[in-house]
Amino acid sequence: MSEAQKYVWKGSIPLQIHLHESEVTTLPPPPPALVLAPRIGYLPLLISLLKPHFSTTLPPGVDTIWYIPTGVLFDLLCMEPERPWNLTVHFRGYPSNLLLPCEGEDSVKWSFINSLKEAAYVITGNCKNIMNMSQTDQVDLWGSVLNGNLESYSRVSSKLKLETFEDEYTENIDSASTKSQQSTGDAEAAGQVKTSRIPVRLYLWTVNDNFDDFEDAPVIDNWDKVSYINRPVEIHKEDGKYFSLSNAVKRLLPEYFPESSFANEGDANINQSAEEEGENSCDPESSGHTVEIAEIKCVRIQGIEPSLEIPFSWVVNNLMNPEYFLHMCVCLKVSEANAMQ
Amino acid sequence: MAAESPTSVRKVVVHLRATGDAPILKQSKFKIAGTDKFAKVIEFLRRQLHRETLFVYVNSAFSPNPDELVVDLYNNFGFDGKLVVNYACSMAWG
Repeated sequence: MSEAQKYVWKGSIPLQIHLHESEVTTLPPPPPALVLAPRIGYLPLLISLLKPHFSTTLPPGVDTIWYIPTGVLFDLLCMEPERPWNLTVHFRGYPSNLLLPCEGEDSVKWSFINSLKEAAYVITGNCKNIMNMSQTDQVDLWGSVLNGNLESYSRVSSKLKLETFEDEYTENIDSASTKSQQSTGDAEAAGQVKTSRIPVRLYLWTVNDNFDDFEDAPVIDNWDKVSYINRPVEIHKEDGKYFSLSNAVKRLLPEYFPESSFANEGDANINQSAEEEGENSCDPESSGHTVEIAEIKCVRIQGIEPSLEIPFSWVVNNLMNPEYFLHMCVCLKVSEANAMQ
Repeated sequence: MAAESPTSVRKVVVHLRATGDAPILKQSKFKIAGTDKFAKVIEFLRRQLHRETLFVYVNSAFSPNPDELVVDLYNNFGFDGKLVVNYACSMAWG
């Protein structure tokens, strides 16, 4: 396990949780609850801490998109990070027609395991590794997520054999050898190009206006403004030695970044890619400085905004969540003239 | 690519298969807009079967979360031109 992974697992967000005013039954209203929430955890798991604070008579249930890790919600909904992050809980009025009901820890665990299975399916084409997990391992795996225990997590998850994306690029740089041929040649038919598929959950929102300071950024006040995109990043061994975060984002969003605009892998300059796009009928003069359909404004993963030139393999190996999905919050600037409908 | 008109929104064929003691639907294949969320499939099944509690899976393997787009699921897990969705009244695949 790496230093970065340890940071990710230790990461937590200070929350100040208020009870929704419609549910306040006492005067004065109960003071907000202050909680330190683990990044890789899920908000409903805090209920057992919150309930005694507010009341013991309220029925359980959480009115939130509860299956998204807490850290991702924070990165997405709290652009200029306020601390503590103020949240309001409802214990009643759950919109059950819109969301699956969350019945406490079991629901969250079930959702976690299913995400893990989905990720395994993306990586290996089936879920056998997860289905064949022993009961003890499953309990240990979930326990390690609950308790933020990276060591116990690494022990169990290594049995799942889902590490398909070895740090080959680093290796190549270090040794400049053909070692990778040996390590991956066995399972794949000889001579075939190995493709790695990295499970990604991408949270995309677009802006039209330029902003330099995140305090000026438009606030995401509605989940509908976010496109929730589940697409794997496909990486072919052939692609060369260097596949950056920027390359990955562009490959994930071909509707904004047509393939030709990054044909030159490893090109460090992301702003001057496409000279002329077929779809792009816009006159270069009218859109200001660039003829690109979109520009990557920021990519936020696990609370940091890594350089777009960082190797994607590093991002995957260090910043993915325990269910093997890499959650990326991406903000694109789309000029009005080219805005997608 | 940039300007797809709403009428050309890709439709996905969803093949609904009953698992365990779940009732079998008269019609098992439906078209659904790719831009719809998986929640719509779940909701459809709930209404058809008059059941509040349903377990809905893709490829007899996992339950996607309800916000995932049908087109993403089709692209990632579909085959033979359709997305296979299994439903059960009790938990079928953990």
